[in-house]
Formats: sequence, structure tokens, C-alpha cells
Amino acid sequence: MEILDKLKILADSAKYDVSCSSSGSNRKNKKGQLGNAAISGICHSWADDGRCISLLKVLFSNCCIYDCKYCVNRASNDHKRATFTPDELCELAIEFYRRNYIEGLFLSSAVVKSPDYTMELIISTLKKLRYDFHFNGYIHIKSIPGADLKLIHQAGLLADRMSTNIELPSVQGLKLLAPQKSHQSIIKPMAFVNEQIQDSNELTIYRKKQLFVPAGQTTQLIVGATPDSDLTILNLSQELYNRFRLKRVYYSAYVPVNVDTNLPAITTSPPLLREHRIYQADWLLRFYGFNSHELLDEKHPSFDIGVDPKCDWALRNLDKFPVEINKAPLEMLLRVPGIGYKMAQRIVMARRIAPLSYEDLKKMRVVLKRARYFITCKGVYYGGVDIDTEVLYPILADKTSSKVMQGQVSIFDAS
Amino acid sequence: MIYVTDGSFEGILTAVFEAYVNKEEPESIVSKEFFQMQLGSEVREIKTDSERSHRVNNAIKNKVSQDALEIIYRAWLSEHNDVGVAIYKYIKLGLQIGSRVVSFLQNPDILMVNDLSQKVFQEYHLFLGILRFKKLKNGIYYSKIEPDNNIIMLLTVHFAERMADQPWIIHDARRNISALYNTEEVVYTMQKEIRISEDICEDSVFETLWKNYFQSIAIESRKNLRLQRSFMPRRYWKNLPEKQL
Repeated sequence: MEILDKLKILADSAKYDVSCSSSGSNRKNKKGQLGNAAISGICHSWADDGRCISLLKVLFSNCCIYDCKYCVNRASNDHKRATFTPDELCELAIEFYRRNYIEGLFLSSAVVKSPDYTMELIISTLKKLRYDFHFNGYIHIKSIPGADLKLIHQAGLLADRMSTNIELPSVQGLKLLAPQKSHQSIIKPMAFVNEQIQDSNELTIYRKKQLFVPAGQTTQLIVGATPDSDLTILNLSQELYNRFRLKRVYYSAYVPVNVDTNLPAITTSPPLLREHRIYQADWLLRFYGFNSHELLDEKHPSFDIGVDPKCDWALRNLDKFPVEINKAPLEMLLRVPGIGYKMAQRIVMARRIAPLSYEDLKKMRVVLKRARYFITCKGVYYGGVDIDTEVLYPILADKTSSKVMQGQVSIFDAS
Repeated sequence: MIYVTDGSFEGILTAVFEAYVNKEEPESIVSKEFFQMQLGSEVREIKTDSERSHRVNNAIKNKVSQDALEIIYRAWLSEHNDVGVAIYKYIKLGLQIGSRVVSFLQNPDILMVNDLSQKVFQEYHLFLGILRFKKLKNGIYYSKIEPDNNIIMLLTVHFAERMADQPWIIHDARRNISALYNTEEVVYTMQKEIRISEDICEDSVFETLWKNYFQSIAIESRKNLRLQRSFMPRRYWKNLPEKQL
């Protein structure tokens, strides 16, 4: 098979994995060799779906022994199959890198023969890249569920980031749709990698730093393949951040690729707006000091489609508003709808020099469209309406959501 | 009073020095390339002086902050018409109130320098990703760029570290500046025109593979061209192989 055909098949099979970040690693260029990692990550292009392309994201192989119901590569699908050789893959990665098409490699794989066998294939590719081609660019690999922890350790010494995809947010979902994978086979490597990362950080005190997945680990959850609520998903994310110190949890709106009685109909369009809301909430957990139970609870288990999660929270906690822009602590500024992380920092910096008026905020280009209903400047309220849920909800409701909905129109109309 | 400089960063710093020495408030500081004579305004031509610019440079570093110096430098790379005088006011205020000046965003001059600096940084960061090399038959990797801001000096630092083992040329076709790297050091030239004819390019194989990869990786049911353009504006497409029709 031609390399072009392999690339097409194996990129096509990898595209449902949403992670493409190349950040968090500070792997240096060794003198006269190729490549380094950029701590902030670099996007190299954007595909027609608007998602960034940072890494060469391919499967090593899509010949899978498993038959997970939601997956495009399941064994029972009649589907073109292909497998790279380590040499082919190295050549592609290096040549793409030299032309600055990519930031590095994201290597995942279907389970070929056995989890251990697959993991060994991945490791041999990584060894070639690092030792034969002296490649210091970014490498993200998938740990294969069920592979021996020794192999995972070896791989971790070569990669910058490792991820283990949970995919289905509850144990019930996993039993139903991926009966060959056990809950344990996913959690165990995650806990192991977390320990190893902590260990490698400690070791640095005593001797030369041995890098072990310096950019940390991540996972992915599928939204909308199972009936799990936003609350279940967000609670799980919160736990993953706390317990395993994950760098990111990615969410992927389920794109129906298979027919099965336990799955949404093949004509269902991916729940993009729901995915968007969950991402917004995820940001609130990681950067804005929110806790999942503040955003959702048993009585309120899913996000409002009309307003973003922060607005939704603010409307349920109007007793905390308005806040004075010149006095409120950073943590509270971060909770004001419409004020983002950078703006909150700008405000805190600028008010140290002189108190800020409403005009000053405008000059600093703080977006006041939503924020003005929740703040006072030098004691004056500029919202112009009562701070009341009934009044504010229609004003704040996301008018663009109708546009987002349009994008969800199914392309499977023909089928 | 209008100050006319040679357009270099040292030129602007020298102008700031002269304003202090002559106790003048220049209403504008422009490079002679863009200078247009106006009736009724006095003009002072500034001769770039490396010792004077160095003194201003050090004053900013020591009395304001390293951050401020970097912000000013990046703002200057924007080549914006009004950046000269805004930089002058930035430095003047900075020397009065110290390192706090970087957060004094209520002040329009400070805000302007800050915004320009950010714009330059954003374009620089974008180009770290969307700069493309073509491999030529002689083994040199060639890249043509046409950025809005004069970012080539920032870019070469990154690429000399990253593509350390391959010779490359980065050519800013808008400004006719080229950076040449021979795996040891970077040198700049102001060559008027560099023409790379198709027959000295080696590159169709990997370009084709890349274009195909680019197509395969998009999820059809999530197609969103507007989002794509917001990250990667159309004016940059002509130097991107994956976006050439």
C-alpha cells in the first residue's frame, strides 16, 4: 500500500480524538539536533472544522481486536485497514517537522494483536525518533488500556505527554458499549503515570532530571453517546483534576459512525452546543476557581443552552452582585460574567495606580456588554435595569446560539 | 516639532534622548521613509547615535523594567504611524513612575503601545506555526512570509533553535528582508528580490502528503469555515500549501 493511502486512512481514523495541544513541555534542543518543544504550544494550521492542527495525529494501526460499539475502528466494521511501519511513520513526522507543518507527533493506535504488542510498536517508533533521528520535538502518545505498566513506564520516558482515554463517563456506559475494556484497565495506568510524574519531579533534587511525560497526562470523554448528564461528566472531570492532576480533560461531541441499538441513531447530529457549554465549565474549573457542585447539582443537572455556565451561576447567585470593580478581590472579578481571566488581571493591575471609572474600563476595552449588569464603578451602577433573574435572563441569553444550532444540521441527510 | 529618524529602533531611542536634551515635546516622531512635509511645523532630523540610544536603552532597563523595554521594542516592530511619539510618552512616563507604567492602561499612550505590542506578539506567535518551509534541490529550506508587522527578527531566534541542523532562508517579501541560517549563525540581507523557480524545488511529495493529511483530519459533520478563518485569516493563505487551490 502507498504511504499516501496509509496516511489518509490512519489520519481519518484518528480524527475523532480531539486533543491536539502541544503545550506544557520544555524539552530543549540539543545542540545541532532537530527540534524542541514550546511551553505555550504552537498551532500550525486550522482544519476545515475550525480545529487546530498542531501535531501529526495518526493511528499506528486501525486493525483492532476490540469491538467497542461507539468506535469507527471496531473489529466488526467493514472498513479499510492499514498499519504503518515505524520507519514510514518516522519519515513522515521528520519531513513534516522540517517544513514546519507540525509541532510533533500524536501517536495512538487500535489494539493490534494485544495491548502489549501494540505498546511495543509505539515504543519502537519513539525510540527511532528520539535516538536515530535525534528528534527533540513534541510527542504525545496514547497509553493502550491493559498494557503492562513496565511498557507504559518505558514510553513515558520518551514522550512529552501521555493520555488514556476514558471515553465513556460512567461505568455502566463502559459495560454497555465497550465490554472488552474494564474500568480498571483505564484507571490503573492513569494512577501509575501520575505517581511516576510526581516521582520524576522529586528525583530532580538529587540528580540530573529524568524527564517523564513532562507535559503531563490528559484524557477524553465522549459527550452524548450515553445518557450521562452534564453533572456526571463535570463531577468526573473535577475528580480527575484533583486525584490524577490531569492537565486537560477533552470533550468530544459524539459523531454517530455506527448503528447499534445502544447508541444514538446514525442521523443524530453531534451535540456541539452541549460540548461547548461543558468546555466553558471546564475552563471555570481550571482557571476561575469554580467547583463542579457550584455549577450543577441534582436539581440542576445540565447546563442552560441559552446562557453560558458562568452567567447561569451568576443568575442563581444574584445576592453576590453587583461587585465594586475597584475593591472586589481577583477571585470575585473572575466570577463576573463577561470578564475573562486576562481582563480581570488587567483591572487589578490598573486600579493599583488610580481608581477606575466606567469610562476607564471602556478605554481598557473591557467588554461590558454583559459585565455591566454585575458591577459598580466608584459606587455607581451602570446596568440600567433591576438586578433580577427574570429581567436579566432575556438580556443575557446567547443570541448566537441559534447560529451554533445551524451548524448542527445533520450532514447525514442523504442516508 | 516633528522628529524624523532613520526608522531604526536605535533611531527612536536617540530621538527620545534629543527630546530630553533640547527640552522639547515632539508632536510626532516618524521615520524618513514615511515622512511627509507639513506646512507650519518645524522639523528636526535625528542622527542615530549608538551611544545615546544605548543610554536610553539602559535607562529603561534599569529605571523602568526589562518588561517595559520588550513591550516598547515589540510595539516599534508594528511600524504604526503614531508609534514613535507614543513610545516617547511611554518612556517619559516610565522614567517618572517606574515599573508600574506597564499597567497604567487608563492612559491612552500606554494603552496604545501595549496594544501594538500585543498585536505584534500575536502575529509572531501565529507565524511560529504558519510559516512553511519548502525544501530546495540544494538542501536549503526556503520560506516566504508576508506578515503585517516586521517580525522576522523575532522569528529567526525561534527557528535557529528549532531547525538547528538544517540551513534555511526566511524571506519577508513585503519588506525585502531575508534571514539566512547556515546551521551556525543567522545573517540578514536586504536583497531586492529573491525568485525561487519551481524547478529548484524538491518538494511536491511531502507537500502532497501534507495537503492530503489536512483534508483527512477535518470532521465533515463539524465543518466550520468561519471559525477556521478567524484563527487563520485569508490574507495569510497564499503562502500556505494546504490552502492553495
